[in-house]
Amino acid sequence: MKQATALPLQQRLQRQQALAQRLRLPVALAAGLGCGFLIMCAVSSEPLRAFLILLTGALPRLHWSAGEGWQLTRLVRFGAVIEDAITLTLLGLAVAIPFRARQFSLGADGQLFLGALAATVVSLYLPGPWFVVLSLSMLAACASGFLWGALPGLLKTRFQANEIVTTLMLNIVAVQAYRWLVSGWLRDPAGGFIVTPFLPASLQLPVLLVHTNVTVMLLALPLLVWTSWLLLMRTTLGYEIRVVGQSAAFALQAGLPVQRTVWLSMGAGGVLAALAGMHISHGLLKRLPVDLPAGLGYEGLLVALLARCEPRAVPWAALMYAYLRTGALAMERSTDVSREVVLVIQALVILFLVAERMQPALAGGWLRWRARRAEGGRHDA
Amino acid sequence: MTHDYWAWSMAAAALLPAVLRAATPILLAALGGLISDLAGCINVGLEGLMLVAAFFAVLGSVLAAYWLPGLPPVWHAWLGALAGVLAAMLLALLLAVFHLEWGADLIVAGIALNVLAAGLTVFLLSTLVGDKGSTASLDTPVLPALHLPGLQSWPQLDLLLNGEHGRGHHLLLWTALLAIPLLRLLLRHTRTGVWLCASGEHPQAAAEAGIPVKRMRYLALLVSGMLAGLGGVYLSMGYLSLFQSDMTAGRGFLALAAVFVGARGLTGTVLASLLFGASAVLSTRLGAAGMAPQLLYMLPPVVTLLALVAAGARKQGRAHRSS
Repeated sequence: MKQATALPLQQRLQRQQALAQRLRLPVALAAGLGCGFLIMCAVSSEPLRAFLILLTGALPRLHWSAGEGWQLTRLVRFGAVIEDAITLTLLGLAVAIPFRARQFSLGADGQLFLGALAATVVSLYLPGPWFVVLSLSMLAACASGFLWGALPGLLKTRFQANEIVTTLMLNIVAVQAYRWLVSGWLRDPAGGFIVTPFLPASLQLPVLLVHTNVTVMLLALPLLVWTSWLLLMRTTLGYEIRVVGQSAAFALQAGLPVQRTVWLSMGAGGVLAALAGMHISHGLLKRLPVDLPAGLGYEGLLVALLARCEPRAVPWAALMYAYLRTGALAMERSTDVSREVVLVIQALVILFLVAERMQPALAGGWLRWRARRAEGGRHDA
Repeated sequence: MTHDYWAWSMAAAALLPAVLRAATPILLAALGGLISDLAGCINVGLEGLMLVAAFFAVLGSVLAAYWLPGLPPVWHAWLGALAGVLAAMLLALLLAVFHLEWGADLIVAGIALNVLAAGLTVFLLSTLVGDKGSTASLDTPVLPALHLPGLQSWPQLDLLLNGEHGRGHHLLLWTALLAIPLLRLLLRHTRTGVWLCASGEHPQAAAEAGIPVKRMRYLALLVSGMLAGLGGVYLSMGYLSLFQSDMTAGRGFLALAAVFVGARGLTGTVLASLLFGASAVLSTRLGAAGMAPQLLYMLPPVVTLLALVAAGARKQGRAHRSS
């Protein structure tokens, strides 16, 4: 008797959980976009048009004209989506790895600036054949990113300094050091505004798609994503990172080197953020302006959270976010809604995504409602 | 000799108000961070709460002047300040609901809150004002300053309590100073305060003892929203008289740092906030002396890092001695 009642309950709970898991991302996306639309309705005179441009503005457009036949336009804009997605994927991975160890490192910004700076300095001042200089530039970027990433980790393990605060403070230091060096030592006197000289053409990353800045970094990206996944899922360090992230106390009891794991995970994140910086300096801009906008690191954070810190999901999250960002630029140009609404939407999506108990509650309600309706239908028949 | 003493005391009396002015927003937000931390809810969203309060204070006062032109301008400022604080409390409530009801990770939700606040303020700013930078085109009323009369015969005291030119200190500066003993009273001498600390110290034990842990945490997050909101209002209606995008400039995180540096105690938090205020004043004073501005901007974060390291080393030393 007891068995007979327990089984359906268990089944129902399992089905409820499975449904909640599957629905989680779509529901969070829909809820975030819906809230964004409501906010746009509140302030805009043409919210529907703005919303449609936001959702479709980044796509290349296929259109027909009598003279030239079918044509694909706005490819440059789509190239911008890919450029953006590359930066965001690297930054997303940079945030995701320490987050898996439950280290809330927000230092991707500073690591990006220092990585770009280190790579540019080596490329500008080191003579030699291009492959040597380019690999040394990359090495310099990785090293500076690793050091700047591991430093807050060491401060945390040695002095219990909260990593959220230290990484943010180190960001300010790094960005100001970058501006100081670019406006003083590295400045190109013929540049017009404050900017470093152009990198030699042989050191700029080769372009894959004409008229855009989509470079070979795109080809390196799957490798980096795969390496990050491998690091997390198939190495000892990755295992330690995941265990420390789930329960540091347990990891300590089990004899894992918790402190080393903490700073190594943050250093590994720093390497990826520095590579994002090199993508910006050697791929996108070819030189470094003094007013390189700070704050990209936070968008990497959004990407990592959207992918729930799963490396293989990071590129897709980055692509989606870059797509929305480019659509938002188009929206800002042609309607009265400014592009920052994407930040609001993204923040809301993440809030809905991390609300663990919200969707099981909703899914439970939905299943109950369906069961009641099915019952009602049977009564009617 | 007496002349020297006179000059030094005047300089010190002039320096302290400057430090207080710079420290007030950090102090208010840090007190908010402290109370939520004591209840076991680390509030990473202080920065966003301040930013939203600063924006809605300006927006509220402008709208109040638009809708209720009959009122004297001071009332517009008060209504704006109310709107700012309410906006911050609403956002804190959002954080509380997502964390306490729906199980969202508090730190991730707090970070999301900061992003939300940064996006929302710039979005509304550019849509409503038509300018992404600031509300400089709007005429913002400012909350009044409090001038203490009858101090003319003690110049140092007058300078200390009324600032330069005898204009008096901003009302919210006095509020921040007043909030310190009030918070102490709340935490030490009321049942609510004791319950609140118990909910942070050991939630299970507190719940077993019949303390409504969840309600205490709601309360703590709301109060932290209110205090951070007051800090934000001070920024846009006292420190400056307009809203700029990202005008908090990391002060919310400095407040968070102040809680850690102060080892989660009231006195320590207040002292750390003052230290951060002093480092901001020092960097502006050195800027007047002609140092490279980029190096000066590094000073407050470096001071914060050193303070965190010192606090950690001190804690470790104490743990070492007691073991």
